[in-house]
Amino acid sequence: MEVRPILSAMLRNKTAPLLIAAQVALTLAIICNALYIIRDRLSTAARPTGADETNLFEIRFYPHRPIADIRGMQIRDLEALRAIPGVRSVAWVNQIPLGQSSWNIGGLTTEPGKRDSNIQATYYFSGGSLIDTFGLRLIEGRDFQSSEVVESDPRKERAEPQVMIITRALAELLFPGAASVVGKSFYLGGSDDAKPVRIVGVVERLQSPSAPAGARAELSMIAPITYLDGYTRYAVRAEPGQRERVMAEAEKALLALSNDRVLLGKGGFDELRARRYSGERIMAGLLIAVTGFLLLITASGIVGIASLWVNQRRKQIGVRRALGGRRVDILRYFVTENAIITTAGVLVGLSLALALNHVLVGAIELPRLPLIYLGLGALVMWLLGLLAVSGPAWRAAQVSPAIATRSV
Amino acid sequence: MFRYYLSLGFRSLRRNPVLTALMVLTLSVGVAASITTLTILHAMSGNPLPHKNEQLLVPLLDNLPADNGNDDGEPPEQLTFMDAMKLWEQKAASRQTPLYGLSPAIDSGRADLPPFFTEGVAIGRDFFAMFEAPFLYGDAWSAEEDARAAKVAVISRSLADRLFDSGSNPVGKTVRISDNDFSIVGVLDSWNPVPKVYRLIGSERFDTSEDVFVPIRTAVALEFDRNGSMDCSSEPPAPGFQGYLQSECNWVQYWAELDAASSRSRYADYLLAYVNEQKALGRFVRPPNNRLYNVGEWLDSRGVVDDDTRTSTWLSFAFLLVCLVNTVGLLLAKFSARPGEIGVRRALGATRADVFRQYLTEAAVIGVVGALIGLVLTWSALAYIRSLDASLALVTRLDGTMLVTAVAVSIAASLLAGLLPTWRACQVVPALQLKSQ
Repeated sequence: MEVRPILSAMLRNKTAPLLIAAQVALTLAIICNALYIIRDRLSTAARPTGADETNLFEIRFYPHRPIADIRGMQIRDLEALRAIPGVRSVAWVNQIPLGQSSWNIGGLTTEPGKRDSNIQATYYFSGGSLIDTFGLRLIEGRDFQSSEVVESDPRKERAEPQVMIITRALAELLFPGAASVVGKSFYLGGSDDAKPVRIVGVVERLQSPSAPAGARAELSMIAPITYLDGYTRYAVRAEPGQRERVMAEAEKALLALSNDRVLLGKGGFDELRARRYSGERIMAGLLIAVTGFLLLITASGIVGIASLWVNQRRKQIGVRRALGGRRVDILRYFVTENAIITTAGVLVGLSLALALNHVLVGAIELPRLPLIYLGLGALVMWLLGLLAVSGPAWRAAQVSPAIATRSV
Repeated sequence: MFRYYLSLGFRSLRRNPVLTALMVLTLSVGVAASITTLTILHAMSGNPLPHKNEQLLVPLLDNLPADNGNDDGEPPEQLTFMDAMKLWEQKAASRQTPLYGLSPAIDSGRADLPPFFTEGVAIGRDFFAMFEAPFLYGDAWSAEEDARAAKVAVISRSLADRLFDSGSNPVGKTVRISDNDFSIVGVLDSWNPVPKVYRLIGSERFDTSEDVFVPIRTAVALEFDRNGSMDCSSEPPAPGFQGYLQSECNWVQYWAELDAASSRSRYADYLLAYVNEQKALGRFVRPPNNRLYNVGEWLDSRGVVDDDTRTSTWLSFAFLLVCLVNTVGLLLAKFSARPGEIGVRRALGATRADVFRQYLTEAAVIGVVGALIGLVLTWSALAYIRSLDASLALVTRLDGTMLVTAVAVSIAASLLAGLLPTWRACQVVPALQLKSQ
């Protein structure tokens, strides 16, 4: 390999190689971290809620004048919704995954009177079956029986549920290592009058409405409560492929039943997901754009400088060709030269990437960069360098040996 | 001479068009990325009431039970209704207001405008003066109307335009709010403090202002439901709305305005005295743990600027740095292609300083062109972000400061990038160049 002549040529003209190396280093440092943040955000935004998202939608109403018979209204609404062809299951729900506004209960504990528990879970409740309507996967125990449903009127006394269904994530947090939790009890808080709640079932997954990043998103519990509030939110699960039509008919049917209320909104999980994760998506989009432009700009920088070198050395290239150098030797010269510069840049860039990650970990809640991203980034930079220099190097190889005989 | 250099610079843009286009593009993309993120950061970290920063205060009181789990040592972020009303009645500051969010139903009675819900707040009359809400018509309600829970309301200009003929003065007319007739006493002109400092809890930080403002006693008497967050450390003593009024649940926000910043410690003393007085009645079982925030401190403590915004600003400036290095390389390539021209100029009597000025001017011209394209790109990027997330509409506006900053950043970047190539151009030895030609 002709490394020594390349090195000595570079040492005589240090500025341009240093600039390219610096650019490679900075680009590598940024794209390693950017790729990691992009992956982090996109995987957060893609987590499943545990519900049958493609066929489920919600429809929400709020009364603009007080409603006297809320129980009757809920019964009539549910009947009207079930009568729509293509409806598989319907339930009144207090909240919906990714819906963002949520009921939470903190201080959950398995020991009565323990006041310093920091386990918090989101609190779903419905008079119907969320397992059927959301399409949850029951992994242990059973769904509620109709005798277990309690009625609660927020304007009067608050009714307490006796039984609950919880998610696997919550079960593991409340009873670490337990093989089975059905039949076990826990308490909603540590006050002396807190009554035990018995677990009758465990579902594989049910995300909370706020769906925070990390494992907290799946700490949920479901109670069998018919809640008599003027605010109504129905979850409707349609037969496959019929969601759009059912959604339009549901709105019409419910508005025809009463004019004391206003439609607040309706929509499927595609909309809920887009709204919940708009921040994550903007961030990922911005970083993808930055990464793309960075690679483009670095490549253009390499092309620019390499073309300049080829132009400056036309005569030397011609002399070398005239002295018996083959085209592939010229090609190899420029590719090797570029590889040396890129490698130097990559080496500096790896430490820069770690330093930038260190700053980001300190400034924001970002986990430390896994080493695989450094390897990936380095590989991308080498490929980019090779790709960028191939054009100018090929043009250099085309320089005719006859040029050596011409005086400039 | 400068104008001549300038025209030379513009003419030189056409030379090496590919190289020049790359440079301009590099610079403009770098400027666009950094100005886009900076615009958002600048708007998010703004203080809408800088001249009242020291006077407007948020008091927090610690009414948590003695053995509270999950304890971070901070008091709840809002007050109980009881405490907010007692502080309001005692009028220890020159102005004060409690506040809670509403989502009132508006029924115009018109067939073409069915009932709809909007955003509102229940407040005291001082609110308008404290946060400098601009009145288009009418004025705030009186203290007497506050006291007797009169059905009066101040509405926004956009709600007035929706309900009545636009341009007419609706003061004195009636509007039906959540099944009750309210008399309109004032209309607020478009007014969007960014961030919405007076309601950082239970509302979007960068949302527009509410449509309906009603006296808090009226809202409570009519049992207008709260639209916002509530934290209960114990069960309310009674069910329903009345229970919340007597409970230790924290759901009311509170603001006080002092005459001069020096009396802040006196207000803190007053709060301590209030807590001790309540302790005697069996409340506030924990050691006194009050907080008092001014506007800037409150914005900081609520974390108005999120981590993502900060990260993207950092990253986009790192991006600009790469663009800068790239421009240095490209300028070097461009300038070093014409040593002959420099040699001739130097031989004809131009000093090194002249050459330096000429080439730096040429670099600045690239900066100017880059700034123009960069601004177009910035404007499109902001429009794109707005289309993705409508709640960011108020923070994605390009204002005069940012326009100037964009041009300044671009020219500064191009001058910085031009320094090394220009210095190298000055090193050209005229004799060598002339000889080789």
